[in-house]
Amino acid sequence: MRLIRAELLKLTTTRLWWVMLAVTIAYALLQLGITIGFAGVTGGQPGAPAIPGRDTAPFQELMWGLGASGAVFPMILGVVMMTAEYRYQTITSTFLTTPRRERVVAGKLGAGVVVGLVFGLVVLALTAVAVVITVPLAGGELSFTGSTARIVVGTLAVLMLYTLFGIGIGALIRNQLGAIVAAVAWVFVIEAIVSAIPALRPVGRWTPGGAATALTNSGVDLGLGTDWLLPAWAGGVVLLGYALVFAAVASATTLRRDIT
Amino acid sequence: MSAIEIRDLGKSFGAVRAVDGVSFTVEPGTITGYLGPNGAGKTTTLRCLLGLVTADSGTALVNDRRYVELPHPLTEVGAVLEATNFHPGRTALNHLRVICAAAGLPPERAAEALEQVGLGEVAGKRVMTFSLGMRQRLALATALVGHPRVFILDEPANGLDPAGIQWLRGFLRHLAHERGAAVLVSSHVLAEVEQIVDNVVIIAKGRLVRQGSLAELVSNGDTAIRVRAADPGELVPALERAGATVVQSDGVLRVTGLDAERIGRIALDERVVLTEVSQERSDLQHVFLELTGEGETS
Repeated sequence: MRLIRAELLKLTTTRLWWVMLAVTIAYALLQLGITIGFAGVTGGQPGAPAIPGRDTAPFQELMWGLGASGAVFPMILGVVMMTAEYRYQTITSTFLTTPRRERVVAGKLGAGVVVGLVFGLVVLALTAVAVVITVPLAGGELSFTGSTARIVVGTLAVLMLYTLFGIGIGALIRNQLGAIVAAVAWVFVIEAIVSAIPALRPVGRWTPGGAATALTNSGVDLGLGTDWLLPAWAGGVVLLGYALVFAAVASATTLRRDIT
Repeated sequence: MSAIEIRDLGKSFGAVRAVDGVSFTVEPGTITGYLGPNGAGKTTTLRCLLGLVTADSGTALVNDRRYVELPHPLTEVGAVLEATNFHPGRTALNHLRVICAAAGLPPERAAEALEQVGLGEVAGKRVMTFSLGMRQRLALATALVGHPRVFILDEPANGLDPAGIQWLRGFLRHLAHERGAAVLVSSHVLAEVEQIVDNVVIIAKGRLVRQGSLAELVSNGDTAIRVRAADPGELVPALERAGATVVQSDGVLRVTGLDAERIGRIALDERVVLTEVSQERSDLQHVFLELTGEGETS
């Protein structure tokens, strides 16, 4: 427990955490704004609008599900939690203070859970404010269904687990820039490709991104379809599996290595 | 019980045998200098001792336990290592607060330790604004937070100005001789530590070449007497007949095997005027360089 506190103190005594939080908030506001702005717009095309109208229930679910896509920011913070130790060689005093390295890794993973949770709650709070203001203004009725609850919990889980992925990537790559580039490339390039190209979707649904989408999917089709995804529960299990794999990677790469 | 006990320690990095069968102990209340040229294996030995590097063979114990087995390591051992660094964006005080939090020490120790090393006034400054000397002091403060009784310092004088080195010497003396701490301090410059160490351990190419008290090491060097004479040509044969070894260069005689009084009497008998008789201080650095094999090339 005190190691989780020490890890959180490491984060809050440097600047990056609030920069990342600010970026996360800005990104969430942008997404909420775009979704609100284009809600119910058909663009002159016949048929249903791409984004359901602001007075509908699907619109609300879609809004709630937006937060998970900002997971890359706490993930970067997770990467830095690990790589900064090697970059600035603070790993030496960290291990001198806590020579049982598995405790250091556990402390970092615990702190990563807290970070993901805090980021998730901030994003969900913004979403709540946006929904509560927008929907009644459009004449809709606020609803919070079982599937909304699933999306909310899913969003928290996705942000938490992505932070842990970040820690694992940081432990594996250790070079700060390299690790961040790898994490961002994974989220924005590789996962984007395997979820956009139909032939690759059998692979794509098993990626962390695919599993995260399954967990927070509102059923609204934004152009990529949703039928290729795993069921929500399976998405959760797959994500948890990745988190365990990354935790194992973080441990295996950190425990034995000589610190010279 | 020795505070530090290293027995048959061995460590290779690939094909390089960094430490090869090193054994020595450090007792409470003493300062031991761990000396050797750069690359001799000093840092590797200390890092094995601190559990940062896994030894291939042998044991390295602090207070009879391996470092990783110490329940509260910072309360037993304070370490200052060369490649220890700080997050540049974190303040000195916050750096120590993090350490205290992780070690379960009371948070006030952070400010106290900064005062102890004379950094109290810059506690709230980011480490990026610190000079190398201030960073060394901060590293020392990190070693002090837990009130340990064993100190392990790797080249602590690096980056310190002469006043800082003077301060460090006084501080280490105080820790060992007044507070009874065991201090192990490494250096590649004997002169940096020769004034304060009680014992020396000399290592070269991963192997121990000499260990003992400073006094023992000094007495092993040959002590010579410098002599200048008005007419050395008369004096040298007389000195040699008396059993001395004389090396002559630039009009200076370097005499070994006789003491100053005997040389004076022989000069009197030979009616040679002496213009200088002085005891040549045993050059410890010379001994050190010879022992570590660095003197051969110069």
